Amino acid sequence: MQTAGDYVCTVLSSRQVLPGVFSVEFESPEISSVALPGQFVQVEPSPGVFPVTRRPVTINRLTESGFELLFDVVGRGTQLMARFLPGDMVRVMGPLGKGWDVDQDKTWLLIGGGLGAAGFQFLVDSVRSSGVIIGASGADRVIPVQAQTVHIVTEDGSRGSRGLVTALISEELLARADSIAVCGPVAMMEAVWNTIPEAHRSKVQVSTESRMGCGWGVCDGCSIPVSGGGYRKCCVEGPVFPGDTIDWKRWKEAGL
Amino acid sequence: MSSPSLTRKFWGTEFVSPVMLASGTSGFGEELFKLGCLTGAGAVVSKAVTMKPRSGNPPPRLLETPFGLLNSIGLANPGARYVLENILPAVSNLPCPLVINVAGESVQEFADVVSVLKESGVHIGYEINVSCPNVAEGGAAFGVDPEVVFRVSEAVSQVADRPFSVKLTPNGGDMVQAAVAAQQGGASAVTVCNTFLGMMIDWKTGKSVIKRKVAGYTSPALLPLVVARVWQVSNAVSVPVISSGGVSCGQDVLQLLAAGAEMVQVGTRLMRRPCAAGELLDEMKKLTGEQ
Repeated sequence: MQTAGDYVCTVLSSRQVLPGVFSVEFESPEISSVALPGQFVQVEPSPGVFPVTRRPVTINRLTESGFELLFDVVGRGTQLMARFLPGDMVRVMGPLGKGWDVDQDKTWLLIGGGLGAAGFQFLVDSVRSSGVIIGASGADRVIPVQAQTVHIVTEDGSRGSRGLVTALISEELLARADSIAVCGPVAMMEAVWNTIPEAHRSKVQVSTESRMGCGWGVCDGCSIPVSGGGYRKCCVEGPVFPGDTIDWKRWKEAGL
Repeated sequence: MSSPSLTRKFWGTEFVSPVMLASGTSGFGEELFKLGCLTGAGAVVSKAVTMKPRSGNPPPRLLETPFGLLNSIGLANPGARYVLENILPAVSNLPCPLVINVAGESVQEFADVVSVLKESGVHIGYEINVSCPNVAEGGAAFGVDPEVVFRVSEAVSQVADRPFSVKLTPNGGDMVQAAVAAQQGGASAVTVCNTFLGMMIDWKTGKSVIKRKVAGYTSPALLPLVVARVWQVSNAVSVPVISSGGVSCGQDVLQLLAAGAEMVQVGTRLMRRPCAAGELLDEMKKLTGEQ
């Protein structure tokens, strides 16, 4: 089913939520009425020609008349997006990709590392969740997620407990969840996958990220290595995949 | 000078516009059709098809640069037989003609792919990608040697039952001589041109960001380079020239037509604007006053 469209959306609000991390809210009933948790949009960071590609960003949550994106400034495109002001008209294509598999009535455990949690609110708002684990390097990188139970862990101990997300993964938390959502840097996701015992791995879904050309499946630029050889397109076959789909070793070698 | 007409007959087919979607930027047209983005497209050129399936290069396959894009996809495709049986039937209802881009690692492979695909009636012709490495004969691109371009063109013309263009490379060799050789071999057009070799190095590691080291560079900033090559080649051959590269607005298309192109491909612009074909056509109509 093709529900995506290319729309000129009005920026409703724009603010810095953490140092270098921005929230931008767009007005777009067209996108928000059909978007599913885990899907993304392709944003034109500027008018004109440069940069020559858009920027893919996961929808963090739906708002009254549109949706919110959370992103950190990592390069030229996101620098331009951080300067969006209320009233700006921005071309946004979406919703794109295959999000979390939320078809069934299940209880979710969410595990996010760094900016990987910048899409969790939509999932938390859409399903029953038993807990959200958020890991970050320090307090200034903890993505805000509103949920009943949030466990925070930071590498420097500046907020929550000190350590890595893997330290908070317990048999009890895993047993209470029917589905497990994981999103973060590749090394973090692999560590989480390796920490989760075999018996619970079939519950795991991971949300991946890749350098994208188009975002709608034509350029083959965002392909992710999968177990057993070959690749899947992050943009249309993902970004969310069952955990056992990913070939972690080859994916880490990409150095993304 | 009078403005060129924007509708045209090319290879015996009616085209609603001179704008073709360049190979690798629109798949086989299905995704953009579903997005409603083929309005104004004269034709779609498919991604490259090889005899056997190819899974493509390891990531990262793309790197955006300040003024363009490097790509190293590695001719990822499911192989000629799969394309014939599964993909072409699914795109038989496209609203514009389809041209299939063909790649190979030997002179014979180009002819073999065409021999398989000609069982389908869906596409109107082929674009022969002679920029890939000639694995059978040492690995240099076919396109840099006019003698090899002639042999590829001749081999394809012996099996092809419909027109084909030879897509030339700007990386080494004399493109004008290669174009003449393609025509002598039987090509019904030449495409000017494929991507320019490029590389970006992470100075901290000293390594190329793209695993295959060099990659294909595309950019709106290449426009003058493409205009010059289209002008040179169109003065040297009698077959039509299809331009490829450098297009970001309607004025660019009109300029390439003025340089001698019969059809103009748009590629990287589609990453920003999937509906670029229609946008370019509208811009051209405004500029020329054509209804």
